[in-house]
Amino acid sequence: MAITHYWRVFMTFLRNSLVRDMTFRWNFIINSISSLSWVFMNLGFYILIFHQIGSHGELAPQSGWRQYEFFVFLSTTLLINSIVQTFFMPNAEEFSELIRRGGLDFALVKPIDTQFLISLYEVDWSSLANFVFGLCLLSYSLYRLDYHPGWFQVVAYPFYVICGVVILYSLMIALASTSIWLGRNQSLYNFWFYLTNFSRYPMEIYRGPVGDWLRRIFTFLVPVLVVVNVPARLLAKPLEPEHWWLMLYALAATVGSFALGRWIFLKALDSYRSASS
Amino acid sequence: MAVIEVRNLSKTYRVYQKSEGLWAAFRGLFRRRWREVHAVRGISFEVEQGEFVAFLGPNGAGKTTTLKLLSGVITPTSGEARVLGHVPWRRENAYRRRFALVMGQKNQLWWDLPALESFRLHQHIYRIPPGEYERTRDELAEMLGVRELLGRPVRELSLGERMKMELMAALLHKPEVLFLDEPTIGLDVVAQHTIQNFLREYQRQRRLTILLTSHYMKDVAALCQRVIVIAQGRIVHDGSLEGIVERFGRSKILTVQLADGQSSRDFHRYGKVVECQPPRVKLRVPRQGVPELVAAILQNHAVEDVSVEDPPLEEVIAEMFSCVQQQTSQESPSPVSTSSA
Repeated sequence: MAITHYWRVFMTFLRNSLVRDMTFRWNFIINSISSLSWVFMNLGFYILIFHQIGSHGELAPQSGWRQYEFFVFLSTTLLINSIVQTFFMPNAEEFSELIRRGGLDFALVKPIDTQFLISLYEVDWSSLANFVFGLCLLSYSLYRLDYHPGWFQVVAYPFYVICGVVILYSLMIALASTSIWLGRNQSLYNFWFYLTNFSRYPMEIYRGPVGDWLRRIFTFLVPVLVVVNVPARLLAKPLEPEHWWLMLYALAATVGSFALGRWIFLKALDSYRSASS
Repeated sequence: MAVIEVRNLSKTYRVYQKSEGLWAAFRGLFRRRWREVHAVRGISFEVEQGEFVAFLGPNGAGKTTTLKLLSGVITPTSGEARVLGHVPWRRENAYRRRFALVMGQKNQLWWDLPALESFRLHQHIYRIPPGEYERTRDELAEMLGVRELLGRPVRELSLGERMKMELMAALLHKPEVLFLDEPTIGLDVVAQHTIQNFLREYQRQRRLTILLTSHYMKDVAALCQRVIVIAQGRIVHDGSLEGIVERFGRSKILTVQLADGQSSRDFHRYGKVVECQPPRVKLRVPRQGVPELVAAILQNHAVEDVSVEDPPLEEVIAEMFSCVQQQTSQESPSPVSTSSA
């Protein structure tokens, strides 16, 4: 009952956003083109690098990521980011405004989970262009790889993509919630981008005295490194025993991040003051 | 049993006190001056099922804060409240399904979409069965006269039309308690009138409990049997609108229609002449001395007609507010505390 209730509400969010996006179709088209061109520029940059080092060369020495393996990684980044951008980004941006201008009042009086309501209220369909492109790049890269992933990997991949989305979302909602205490926090929202930047590269490149610390921080403290690394490695490389613990850890990190994000969100709601009318 | 019970409810905000100037702003980075604002100070009241109650008070008196506390949007500093048996700030879904909040200055409909789409969202959030939803929607659209506007994007509607849509959205789930915060603010007279009529009719039909805040005395006079006056966070009057005039009106308006050829020159000795258009004179006189004054005027002048009226309600209320404000500011200057943070 509860699940169908939330599903119906979610479907209405999807529908309303789609109607809106179709009303402003040029805005929709331009958004899609601009985010796609950003992706192409990135892809072009990596093609250039692999052109220099050869497709059997590795992204960083001894990192173990050759061209099409890395492109699996890159398309995983694209898939995860585009899901976050489609469903959560417009809402996290709006959340700070809702707090500043008191619009959260309406969300708080609705008989539905407030976090669900404010997290999924708007959907940015144009960001799905990146998702489609990510799927294409992923298929092509898998086709070019000599290695064929087994059924377990094919099943676990989407699961860990969703885990990655949950981690990034939890980080985002936790940062956005702080605007209830701070009144305004555009900078913290930018901070999310800085942090997630670390998730865009394979773990192996974080080496040496500084790299080791970065890897520990972004694996255990703010687990953004497992976001793309776990699903990408699962699909692009043969399973090795040492990866099992990483997969288990990623699961724990997902549950932990979500619980912590929700806790911060609920704490923040208790301190909500509501802008005077 | 009362639908709304409030006991000793208080809400105190701590606000950062900004000082003027660049240097002060820089010092504010390290050492902040905080001021405590007592938005609501220990108010108590009860509202029975089916009552239509108005909250009156000057800006910043605590009206909106009270509504926000009762709808669970904010948590009180101390005190208790129960609405329909629920503690509002626990935000239980069982409670949230049974009331609605409308704010004249905030908008909850999707801006770029027809109101109809927002209504459908409400249908799903409140789990209204399809048949019932359509019936209620059409009924409300009929009553408010907005049937043909339902399909137009909200951003293309006038302020009055938008307010009607906001009301519709709030009433789709048939709430038992309705909180209205300045529902007619900024509207023209015609739209104000339509909304007043609608609210009166709807309340009469469904006997729901309504709490309304408004600056327009006309709203209050047209709709509410009971008025709670709140000033500086305290309740200063709880009763009928006429009761306010009885209690706080210090003067009466005396209109004297003089017989032909009578001079109106020396009327200022009876009281303050408000208007002098011979043969008619309007005086403001103290409330207590009215019979004696009328007798004296009748004795000294040839008079055709005399009428005694209360001054306009707005005037009495304004007088009351300034009187209450003086009292409370003498009692307790608002405390300023300094702390580092």
